[in-house]
Amino acid sequence: MNKNYTILIGLAILAALFPVVSSSYITIGLTVLMFAGWASSWNILGGWAGQLSLGHATFVGLGAYFVAIGSTQFGIAPWWAILMGMAVAGILAFFWGKLTFGLRGPYFTLSTIAIAEIIRLIAINEGWLTGCASGVFIDYLPEPFGLDLFDKTVQYYMMLIYAVITIGITIFISTRKFGYQLKAVRDNEEAAMAAGINPTAIKLKAFVLSAMLTALGGGVYGIFLSFIEPHIIFNLLLSVQIALTVIIGGRGTVWGPAVGAALLIIFGEIFRTVFEQANMLVYGILILVVILALPKGIVGEYAQRLIRRKYANRA
Amino acid sequence: MFDYISFFQNLSNGVLIGAVYALIGVGLTLVFGVMRTINFAHGDFVVVGMYFAVLLNSLLGLDPYLTLIFAIPLGFLVGACIQKYLLTRVIDAQHESMLLATLGISLVIANLLLLGFGGEPQSVNVSYSTSTLSLGEVRISVVLLFAGLATVTVITALYLLLNKTEIGRAIRATAENRLGAELVGVNTKRIQAIVFGLGMSLAVTAGVALIPLLFASPVTTGAVFTLKAFVVTVLGGLGNIGAAILGGLVLGVVEVLGASYLDSAYRDAYGLVVFLLVLLLKPEGLFGKTVKRV
Repeated sequence: MNKNYTILIGLAILAALFPVVSSSYITIGLTVLMFAGWASSWNILGGWAGQLSLGHATFVGLGAYFVAIGSTQFGIAPWWAILMGMAVAGILAFFWGKLTFGLRGPYFTLSTIAIAEIIRLIAINEGWLTGCASGVFIDYLPEPFGLDLFDKTVQYYMMLIYAVITIGITIFISTRKFGYQLKAVRDNEEAAMAAGINPTAIKLKAFVLSAMLTALGGGVYGIFLSFIEPHIIFNLLLSVQIALTVIIGGRGTVWGPAVGAALLIIFGEIFRTVFEQANMLVYGILILVVILALPKGIVGEYAQRLIRRKYANRA
Repeated sequence: MFDYISFFQNLSNGVLIGAVYALIGVGLTLVFGVMRTINFAHGDFVVVGMYFAVLLNSLLGLDPYLTLIFAIPLGFLVGACIQKYLLTRVIDAQHESMLLATLGISLVIANLLLLGFGGEPQSVNVSYSTSTLSLGEVRISVVLLFAGLATVTVITALYLLLNKTEIGRAIRATAENRLGAELVGVNTKRIQAIVFGLGMSLAVTAGVALIPLLFASPVTTGAVFTLKAFVVTVLGGLGNIGAAILGGLVLGVVEVLGASYLDSAYRDAYGLVVFLLVLLLKPEGLFGKTVKRV
């Protein structure tokens, strides 16, 4: 068994004990787990496959909206609604990728922004589709096994499960052929093709998986927010936040997204009283520091140092 | 019957707004041409211009168009310093480093403006903000006309700089082939700083020109203009200045016509749809030549 699984189980147990130890910081813990999950999902496409997307808020929005509209208008339980949201996110990502994977580098990034912005404008303007242009309020949720889904502790554990699932899938991918195929496509598409890999098919798989996992987190986020506004949940800044979490933590690494999420959310909380709404300043400064000093991200640079030390000892 | 007057009214508004978009797009495309990277902070530079005009107007009561005297050289200096002290360190690094670094700069600028000025949208009131000139039945807003004139002046100056001066020649050489330019003795680091400075002062000019028309808010306005700049440059073909001007005009006209004949709520979407279509079907731009780049 990969030692990453052991680390994951250990961390999950620690995280599960957190609400018992400290109940006052539970929302911060929940936010860290949520961003760790989103960032890990983004990492499959943006890190492993090397396709820098700035449109992932779309999938967050889809997940959240399926939960909100499902429960307010159709009386569908949130877990079924989340599954439907994930399916739609996967289908959307498939066609989105089909359309734009011919583009490379900055052109691909620009196209993701453009599509996400168009979807945001549709969500804001088509009130019949999104319930209400100004937002949807979730006032009732069923109680599975007698659990109150509006309770912060229950939501914390849902986010914990979400984060564990996404990181677990990342570890799984990292040990499988699919993981190596993704890296090959990222590093050199022509060489990957010569080795018999179909880059577009690999990128599509990564995008669909990444989108579905993001929508899963979006669904839980919808329950957490319980009031969903299209211009907030589909916002370009959320996409940027998710992408920067991974890049600061370390792209294409298993633990980078989680480290990035913990660092950014906790930093953000520390400076919240100083910066107030200008909270994204932390992201801006940290990304500049990382790009200038640690181009592989925090975990990426650390891993490289470990490898260097290991081989230095052998030689 | 088709209403020609309102059509020409919309067309003239579209062309004038498009001129300002062109100004924004030219700055972005100039930087792309030399640096081969997309500047995500470009829209925030526009917003910096807007706030500069707001600040000087509230402190000294200066007319926004007069603040250009200070805004253009200051924009140049700040832009050149950003390139010289920050971006130059990553220009040869990994593929996407520049893009991410400019994204970081964009976040820093937007949030510093938010800290300094607060989240309330701000604008500058000028006495002539609602005056119009009549051209037959078509009315042209004086502010839009000023913005258009500023654009034409600045772009003419840029054209002269690029085509008639030694620095312009060095810029064009660096854009065409950086290594080649270095071989014949061009200090390309210096050229990059100059170009980034020029890009910023163009963006700042556009911001100042727009402030009597629009409200500036620190975070959202920057993203909107960055997107518009992308649309303009991709429409024209990245790195091509003449085409960026046409791209700007196309975007302005498409937006205004789309907003008045289709649905005004989707004003920002029309440009994006055209942008996607161009990106997917004709990535070299509407007016670009088909050149294969390795």
